[in-house]
Amino acid sequence: MAISTFPVAAHARLPWRTRVSELLDRETILGPLFVSPAFILILLLVAYPFCMAVYFSLSNAFIGRPSHLVGIKNYINLWQSDAFRQTFQNAFVFTGTAIAFKLVMGISLALLLNQQLWFKRLIRGMVLLPWVIPTALSVLGWSWMFNSLYSVVNWTGIALGIFDPPGPNWLGQRYYAMTAVVVVNIWRGLPFFVITILAGLVSIPKELYEAAEADGAGTWARFWYVTLPMLKGVLGIVVLFSTIFTFSDFNIVYQLTHGGPINSTHLFATLSRQVGLESGRIGEGAAISLYLFPLLAFVVYAQLRFVRKQDN
Amino acid sequence: MSTMSRRRFVTTSTTGLAGILAARVAPAVGQTREITYLCWNNFAPASDKKLAEIGQRFTKDTGIKLKIDHIAHAQQAAKYASEVQSQAGHDLVEMRMHFPWLYEPQLADVSDVVADLEKKYGKALSSSSETAHVKGVWRAVPQYHTFFVATYREDLFKKAGLKTPDTWEDLYKAGRELKKMGNPIGIPISQNYDTISTGGAILWCYGAMEVDKDGKTVRINSPQTAEVVEYVKKLYKDCMEPEVLSWTDASNNESIQQGKAGWIHNPVSAYIVARNRKLVSADGINHHRSLAGPAGRHETDVPRHIGIWKFSKNIEASKEWIKYLLGKKEVYDEYVMSGDAFNLPVYANLQDHAVLKTDPKYAALKTEGVTFHTYGWPAPPSDKVQLITNSFILPNMLAKAVTGTSTKDAILWAENEMKKVMAG
Repeated sequence: MAISTFPVAAHARLPWRTRVSELLDRETILGPLFVSPAFILILLLVAYPFCMAVYFSLSNAFIGRPSHLVGIKNYINLWQSDAFRQTFQNAFVFTGTAIAFKLVMGISLALLLNQQLWFKRLIRGMVLLPWVIPTALSVLGWSWMFNSLYSVVNWTGIALGIFDPPGPNWLGQRYYAMTAVVVVNIWRGLPFFVITILAGLVSIPKELYEAAEADGAGTWARFWYVTLPMLKGVLGIVVLFSTIFTFSDFNIVYQLTHGGPINSTHLFATLSRQVGLESGRIGEGAAISLYLFPLLAFVVYAQLRFVRKQDN
Repeated sequence: MSTMSRRRFVTTSTTGLAGILAARVAPAVGQTREITYLCWNNFAPASDKKLAEIGQRFTKDTGIKLKIDHIAHAQQAAKYASEVQSQAGHDLVEMRMHFPWLYEPQLADVSDVVADLEKKYGKALSSSSETAHVKGVWRAVPQYHTFFVATYREDLFKKAGLKTPDTWEDLYKAGRELKKMGNPIGIPISQNYDTISTGGAILWCYGAMEVDKDGKTVRINSPQTAEVVEYVKKLYKDCMEPEVLSWTDASNNESIQQGKAGWIHNPVSAYIVARNRKLVSADGINHHRSLAGPAGRHETDVPRHIGIWKFSKNIEASKEWIKYLLGKKEVYDEYVMSGDAFNLPVYANLQDHAVLKTDPKYAALKTEGVTFHTYGWPAPPSDKVQLITNSFILPNMLAKAVTGTSTKDAILWAENEMKKVMAG
């Protein structure tokens, strides 16, 4: 090693540029240096707000007033609120239903798009549209479609003889309202499933299918014993991300129903906004938004472990 | 051309930066005073244009630069919360209803400005002082107010030979006929503020209340509330359509503008928009006073104020802007006129304002003898009363009742929710 053979006095006399380039040659210095900008950003934009949110959730913080720690009082008190209990239930119904539909439809659409189709690239591009359009804008369109006065959904349904006039009150009755927000979430989140699963499908070696076919496997058997096992890793990651995104959804519910009717579509994010920002109770609002953090952290851990196992 | 060495550049810039940080004033700001003002997107857009025009004149006359920003009313609370938490943002903010109570520790004392205005124009309306005069100190300057009247299709009433209603019971009788004609009553029963504006007014007119005058005792569980719930149930069943369960604040306006609703409870904005857009329904729309009940007539008011954040470094310049906008009578008049009777003056001596004479359909906006209230009355405004309002407990109690929950259970549910808020 040339560097170590320099006497100390001679090394100190080296021009600073040479010294810097020597330092940068060391992996132990260069590596952390490259990582540091991302690390600082994560620290400032993720870790700091997260720690603040945890602190707020453990305090009686009220906008613009001095606060003090109250332990887990906010988390306990929330259970006494009917709106919160309803929100808790809504979050699981909303996420569970939406993920199930997105998974089944995502696999089906990806399989379809993996076939030889005319205008394949165009169709693939169009499938991405709901994912690309800003949510606020697309949900505005949905709110018009479900509007009680001008609903095109009802108009079409009545014209086709599916609904009796005036048609369902999509955003005014609890089950219809939940259906409406789930439908919009599926519409919005489906492209993420389709494109990711499609990428997984493309990477499956064709030889596996040929071998299966030679062994007499039919379409269903090839899907069940080749495609699905090879997609497990991708599906695990997609479901993981989508679970987190769906649990923390805000835009769709906020714009379509504002959490109503009678809190039947409130999610953690929308209730947190109502309590924390509109009413000033930052402590309670933070506790609402962090309520599922332990559960989601466990889901992330379990899913990633599952994916690693699959890779091994 | 002289060159600057790197050492000199670093020394000079570091010294300069240290000076700026020590003074906590940017050099440009040090030379020219500049203030920023955040207000909502007014439902009467012409008044926002007028505000910008007056702002330019203010800059010309005083040398103080004024930057006006607008924000949708639904985003105000979140924006204000972030400004307060970060102790940075605008100097002046538009405040609706109880906001001065919510942000009280963060708002500068503007009692001197209000004293001058009251000396000139008379006392501020009760709804303004209830909401902006916090614990003996004016935390915001009353700017204007908008109040709820009845907006109805006068042509349809005449066609059906219906008398203009004076009480909520009269409305029920007329509403049955209107629904048969395909023009139902349009009162939202959903998680929005118009539901509170109308639901609150019905409560007061029947002698019911959410929280007592002491601001602590929940009084929603009463025979008077039961009477209100029964009334709303029959009104919903016989005079309205289920669509009201999904309505937003704009839906009742749209319904009457599109020719469907025969009667709504709303400020004059529904008519102004219909008239300005030359909608067919505009000619048939008129207004009458909000309705009375067994306990008298009580009107819902939406007062708006201007507050100055305590963290502002330009409190005096901000006060100068408020004095310019509201303290010069000709400017205040000009501003009120631009709002087309949506933004009404809040001071006693200005109540018979010229804006009310610009359209015969504004006759119902006379404030003589009107008892104005804001959400939560008779409880004094507080963070807990604000939370009861913002949790939409009253709208949800009514929605539960009209969708099958018994009157007793709906009221009990509301009582429990309100008690939890008060205890929290």
